[in-house]
Amino acid sequence: MLGEFEYLLITAAAGLGDNAYGAAIREEIESTTGRRCSIGALYTTIDRLETKGLVTTWMGDATPQRGGRAKRMVRVTPKGVHAAKDFYDVVTRVSRGASWVVDRAGRTL
Amino acid sequence: MTNRLWSLVEMAARPLESDTRAAVLGDLEETGESAWRGLLDVLELVVRRQWQFLKDWRPWLAVFGLALPSSLVLMGLSVSISSALETFSDDMIHEAVLQLLCRGFLLIGCSWACGFAMGSISRKTFWVSGIACCFPCLLCLVRFREPSLSRLCLFLFLLPAIWGVRQALRSTRISLVIAFLLATSITTLMITFANNKSFWTLNWVLVWPVWYIAAARYRREAQPI
Repeated sequence: MLGEFEYLLITAAAGLGDNAYGAAIREEIESTTGRRCSIGALYTTIDRLETKGLVTTWMGDATPQRGGRAKRMVRVTPKGVHAAKDFYDVVTRVSRGASWVVDRAGRTL
Repeated sequence: MTNRLWSLVEMAARPLESDTRAAVLGDLEETGESAWRGLLDVLELVVRRQWQFLKDWRPWLAVFGLALPSSLVLMGLSVSISSALETFSDDMIHEAVLQLLCRGFLLIGCSWACGFAMGSISRKTFWVSGIACCFPCLLCLVRFREPSLSRLCLFLFLLPAIWGVRQALRSTRISLVIAFLLATSITTLMITFANNKSFWTLNWVLVWPVWYIAAARYRREAQPI
């Protein structure tokens, strides 16, 4: 099963779609979690996910904002989508009955 | 100050692969990260990457199977050649001169092969093998007690070894014929010197790197294109 940070990364990349690359994913994770995301953790996890076949990466275009350096683009594979869905299902199942879990109407499940 | 710090960040990023380096430095520039923060981030990534490489068995084979034992043996060979040169005289018999030349060839050949094998096996963690080489060198340097010889004679093997390492890190191709010729000649010389009373059994540790190079070359040539 995926780890917590792996799930965050895959979900952020899936949400960003064609615009998923290192800096954008990092910004998305930081704004969502409210915690700092280190570049070391980010790229190490991207490499690990790519080895597992859950994402694919390639070098994108360079831009002047990046000092003429290329981006590392990330795309979630169908296997990655499946793994993320499994993680989400497990977390949802195990969280049922927890006092902090509420439905959309604000009722405790 | 800021430019100097960013130069430091770029230098810190050099151990990374070129694509990763470009992506990381580009990300730092795009997000307007401070140079100090960028430096810490890059160093963290470099350390994580090295840690991943060190989890593999190859760097440890290079350290314990190659760097440590071969440094000791090559230093011994260097000293024996230096001692022989010390007593060299014009009226030495032909056989003694030939033996000296063979030992010299053995030293250069084995040093080069050990360096090349080390650079090939532990390319990304070569610094670990390098540090492992330093320990026996420092130990022998401190304990060296031969008054007629300079301490520098311990390190006759260093230049050919460094040459071998450089060729490996530059992915220089060695022809299969040369690799097998080198392996065969070194093994033959070892067998010839094995009857010598000054021969260490540990000297045989110098033979496997050269056969590793030959086997690796053969495997590469045998692979379908």
